[in-house]
Amino acid sequence: MVNDALRSDASAIPAARKAAGFRLSNRQREWIAGYLFVAPDALGLLIFVGAPMLLSLSLGFFSVSGFGAYSFVGLANYRRMLADPLFWQSLRVTVLYIVMLVPALYASGLGLALLIQADTRFNGFVRTLLFMPQTVSLVVVALVWQVLLIDKIGVLNRFTSAVGLGSVSWLGDPHFALIAVVVVSIWFLMGFYMLIFLGGLQDIPKEYYEAAKIDGAGPVASFYLITLPLLRPTSFFVLLVSTVTAVCGSQTFDLVYVMTRGGPANTTSLAIFYVYQQAFLFNEYGYAAAMASVLVVVLMLITVLLFMLTRGGRFTYE
Amino acid sequence: MTNQTKAGASIHRLGPSRRTVLVGAAAGATTLGFPYISRSYAAESLKFWQFYAPGGGVATQSKWFEDMVKSWNDSHDVKVELVYVPNNAYMDGTKLPTAFASGAGPDLFIISPGDFLRYYNGGVLLDLTPFMEEKAREDFFPGVIANRMVDNKIYGLPMEVEPMAMYYSVDAFNEAGLTEKDIPKTWEELLTVGKKLTNDKRFGVLFETAPGYYQNFTWYPFLWEGGGDIQTKEGKSAFNSPAAVQALKFWQDAVNMGVSPRKPLGGGGWDVVPNLASGYCAMQNVGIWAISQLREGAPNFKYGVFKLPTPPGGKYATVGGGWAFVANAKGKNPKAAGEFCAWALGSMSPDSIERVVDWCTKAKSDMPPRKSALEQGKDAYNKGFLKVFADDIYPGARAEPRVPPPVYKAISDAIQACQLNGQKPEEAAAAASQQIDAFLAGYKGAPIL
Repeated sequence: MVNDALRSDASAIPAARKAAGFRLSNRQREWIAGYLFVAPDALGLLIFVGAPMLLSLSLGFFSVSGFGAYSFVGLANYRRMLADPLFWQSLRVTVLYIVMLVPALYASGLGLALLIQADTRFNGFVRTLLFMPQTVSLVVVALVWQVLLIDKIGVLNRFTSAVGLGSVSWLGDPHFALIAVVVVSIWFLMGFYMLIFLGGLQDIPKEYYEAAKIDGAGPVASFYLITLPLLRPTSFFVLLVSTVTAVCGSQTFDLVYVMTRGGPANTTSLAIFYVYQQAFLFNEYGYAAAMASVLVVVLMLITVLLFMLTRGGRFTYE
Repeated sequence: MTNQTKAGASIHRLGPSRRTVLVGAAAGATTLGFPYISRSYAAESLKFWQFYAPGGGVATQSKWFEDMVKSWNDSHDVKVELVYVPNNAYMDGTKLPTAFASGAGPDLFIISPGDFLRYYNGGVLLDLTPFMEEKAREDFFPGVIANRMVDNKIYGLPMEVEPMAMYYSVDAFNEAGLTEKDIPKTWEELLTVGKKLTNDKRFGVLFETAPGYYQNFTWYPFLWEGGGDIQTKEGKSAFNSPAAVQALKFWQDAVNMGVSPRKPLGGGGWDVVPNLASGYCAMQNVGIWAISQLREGAPNFKYGVFKLPTPPGGKYATVGGGWAFVANAKGKNPKAAGEFCAWALGSMSPDSIERVVDWCTKAKSDMPPRKSALEQGKDAYNKGFLKVFADDIYPGARAEPRVPPPVYKAISDAIQACQLNGQKPEEAAAAASQQIDAFLAGYKGAPIL
């Protein structure tokens, strides 16, 4: 009975379509299928990223007093930002952090990938070791490094004292604290960028190197004339992602929160940390949202600039 | 087998479908098998957020909370449920403010005076006065309850008073050839003795170095000892003063001389076991709670306690912090939450007084905020280090100031800039004072105390 009903339904649909003159071409079907496949992700992005971004952008035009009383203030939060020395200080710290972190991640990621690109069992083990920091909680990473870097009795200070360099307060001295945060960030992130570069290196056909060798090119010439040019799309990706990571990656908050709390004297107070302070310690949600919006705009500008300079990561290479 | 088949057939014909059975079974397993989930749906109970988790640093403290809640739940219809928030996420974290900002704050929670104005000015603190009898209100020491009051109404019931002091390692003193006679009485002596105690593995004296409410709290006594203050009686900044400059310089000197570390171990300057007991420092500026920390964490460690030294011409002072029970005025049952606070810590019933005594003398090591509790627990305060606190240290205690975040931040930046970044104390005090005045000019919240 049920089967009969289904059969009659199934035969009814094409009949109805024919009657309406409605027939999808293969291209249209592919188009619909494609969008249906993307839909769950797009929906998630819209709900969990797009909508909060819009809300955050709107919140920047409000003053939030206490817990939940909103009043529209127009551009007041943005004007306040211009006159807030701690905001500019946090931007300066962020720029310094980017300038130190991004090239270091590029060099360490590429360097490690070149060292261990050969597919041997030993290299597989080393790759695992280098990637391992990524699997550890950032809070644990910060706590462990805090002990390693502690004044006088930390492992690093014992070493520097033993070789006659004396003891340094890596996390308590304004001259070193940001460098210490950068070093720990590199240690944590370099395994990830190493993997990306490894993928890029494996895409380069070996025949190019063989041909270059026959032509008399040494390893240095091969690197500059084959590896680097063919790694341009990968390099573009690494530069872009590491810049975004340096501005708002999870390590920019977690490491600073656990290791220095933005100190000493705000010298490790990255922009993201200052946004956090304003929102969650001072209840200045509107002001924090305005600062977050500015950061997003700055990141978008950097991205556009990178795309323009590199023609979408293709550089001059086609 | 036959019976099973028959039963199965009968289910298929007359009972719910297989899908319904599976859904029902899953729901049953969820409800019965996962008590935490089923409990979260029991919306009737009041949620009490705090950071004394079972298995935490001091077992007696979480047990005190559990016993208190059990006692309430056994005798009241509206139940209370403890919710533990890790200390870091609680004190400077996002959990509590985010919950309130989204209208989902806990019914009950604990706050320190440093954070009082943020929540009071945010309109989420319930007036607890109607739930307390007159006698109980008067039983709190005026200086202790004052910074939890606005317009003669009580918005928080303190569990404890936690005066700051100096702790020292007896072994470190012996090793440096020092005795009890060398215990410093002035700031200068503290630095001199600290220098003698400093070696290549140990610092002489430790002050908090991480920016935050706690660092400000520990620094205030040094400001007061020189006669300084945050605010004048007229409501203007009093920070640009010789006393503030002197206090900023004192902490700066301690770091510049190499006597104080720039970075403490463990959780920070409040954490005595990883710093003093481990030998990282020989003296530590920490509060009365360190007695119970050492009792639990380093029972064989030999130490002594002395009151904060004074500057030239100064007068001894210390700060008495401490946490308080508060109720959410916008919670699902503010009346029951208010009753709970009063029942737990603010009633004249023997149980309520005994609870305060137990917290301050057994679970923790604190001074009691109530006269009756001090009287009832006098045996504990007549011996050991609690006696030192009761006799020598506590009498100079002043309540922890309650300041709004911009004022706290201005002071914090001045301390940090001098202590760790070499700024001239005069400049730092003047800059902070300017920021405080700019803020106070437009401030409309509860009085700053």
